[in-house]
Amino acid sequence: MPMVLLNCDTDIPERQKHVYLKSPDDDPATCLPVANAPTIPGTLSERGCAFCGAKLVIGGVLKDAIQMIHGPIGCAYDTWHTKRYPTDNGHFNMKYVWSTDMKEQHVVFGGDKRLAQAINEAFDQMPDVKRMIVYTTCPTALIGDDVKATVRQVMRDRPDVDIFTVECPGFSGVSQSKGHHVLNIGWINEKVGTLEKEITSEYTMNLIGDFNIQGDTFLLQKYWDRLGIQVISHFTGNGSYDDLRSMHQARLSVVNCARSSGYIANELKKRYGIPRLDIDTWGFGYMTDGIRKICAFFGIEERGEELIAEEWAKWKPQLDWYKERLQGKRMAIWTGGPRLWHWTKAVEDDMGIEVVAMSSKFGHEEDFEKVIARGRDGTYYIDDGNELEFFEIVDLVKLDVIFTGPRVGELMKKMHIPYINGHGYHNGPYMGFEGFVNMARDIYNAVNNPLRFLAAQDIRDPLPLIMPERLREAA
Amino acid sequence: MNTMLDERVDELLEYVEEKCLWQFFSRAWDRQENIDGVLDQTANLLAGHAPRLATPMERLFYADAKIMVDDLHSRFPWISESGEAEIRQLLDGLKGRLVENVITKSTNRELNQHLY
Repeated sequence: MPMVLLNCDTDIPERQKHVYLKSPDDDPATCLPVANAPTIPGTLSERGCAFCGAKLVIGGVLKDAIQMIHGPIGCAYDTWHTKRYPTDNGHFNMKYVWSTDMKEQHVVFGGDKRLAQAINEAFDQMPDVKRMIVYTTCPTALIGDDVKATVRQVMRDRPDVDIFTVECPGFSGVSQSKGHHVLNIGWINEKVGTLEKEITSEYTMNLIGDFNIQGDTFLLQKYWDRLGIQVISHFTGNGSYDDLRSMHQARLSVVNCARSSGYIANELKKRYGIPRLDIDTWGFGYMTDGIRKICAFFGIEERGEELIAEEWAKWKPQLDWYKERLQGKRMAIWTGGPRLWHWTKAVEDDMGIEVVAMSSKFGHEEDFEKVIARGRDGTYYIDDGNELEFFEIVDLVKLDVIFTGPRVGELMKKMHIPYINGHGYHNGPYMGFEGFVNMARDIYNAVNNPLRFLAAQDIRDPLPLIMPERLREAA
Repeated sequence: MNTMLDERVDELLEYVEEKCLWQFFSRAWDRQENIDGVLDQTANLLAGHAPRLATPMERLFYADAKIMVDDLHSRFPWISESGEAEIRQLLDGLKGRLVENVITKSTNRELNQHLY
């Protein structure tokens, strides 16, 4: 039976449909984990809410829009500053946080007036900023505040501003994935096609599903500049609100994160006839393929080969140094969804690492189709994993390193397993050729860091057995 | 299908499963469109014909097919010795297997939702 009932799940046998152990003779039709389904009562997983998916993942990345959270202060604080997506205008998005700070009286008497006041105050305080996204949250959705009416009134009063409303309270979906969906579809319905920007190249594209984590977008932009490609819009790494209104002008949509942003690429294809090209931007082999495909689409293959040759000459020797030292290391990836399938084969091919367990917080079944196709036999594939499952899997697979978020990362640190931030990175960027060397370096440093052994030792014992000989000598 | 053809289709399928994101687009009709478009361009290129580049979608399929053809030549030396009819037969076999795996037999519950 390819689907696995873990010991810790004996009392919640429904979890069996969400945990798969791959073996070579499995029939794919019987081994796709159920995903994007409600979390089962009795399990406590680490999902975020739908509002978080819209604000923290996509909208909050934009460099020139006020992010007004209409709700209690916690909704704003907890989706601010927890991801590292810098911008080229001084990190406006990470410096400030805006909230209507709803209190009990506003829940009882309605929050519309408070929202109008907060929007006006924000624009008054920041007169150079003319763009805003307003988000509803659970309480303001439940009490029925008419956020769109308030926003329309402000836009009538202030004709120089443009505001986009995301009506995606936390409870509206099973995970943050719903927020991605609502923002994507809302944006194409209301904003794409409302502005024309100057076209400076015959080669134009949207770069969709890259959020400039620790400068990923900056790094990739150097490639597009060298290739002479004009990026009409970045959805949404270092992205500009107005650029995203011009997405319809691109000749091609290049998609990295298909989970968070595939919807808008599909709609651009359906409504404007813009082809959708999915690529992987992590890993030498994948990045090379991606550049080649983009260049083939535009008929500029020679420029692509020149760029690839230069980058390989510069970075491949460094990658190979790490690959030699990381052979056979065992890694787990417990992140949102797409990084499972972006990374599993890339770290195997480029670094010699075996990915032995993967868990997705908000991936859909499509993501599991991708990762199971690319992943190894003998690897666990888990949807919406809970803490007890994580402990049991760790015992089963014997990890050298795990890529996950800070919450699970803290658990792993207590188990003395090196943890690297799989969402915000440790020392990124990780995309592109240079980025993958950074990722390899972080893995090398993590698996060789003596601190985890030192943290595990009883300080009264001068030669604790838990520490390998080589590190004991060094200590 | 004879055994050798079957084995070669298996090899091609293994390559596509591992490398090609276009087979896993969001909806059944997108997957079918990509499978048809990319494999038709691939057959065309493998047979030594000029690519069809008249529409944006043809350019897209060409971009994916071009990388695939380069990979097939380097991974499977036998493909360079195959004739046009044999290539067509191989890719038809591959198309059938892909449609079965990622559309017909797939248990992905979102494949036939009418909206994105």
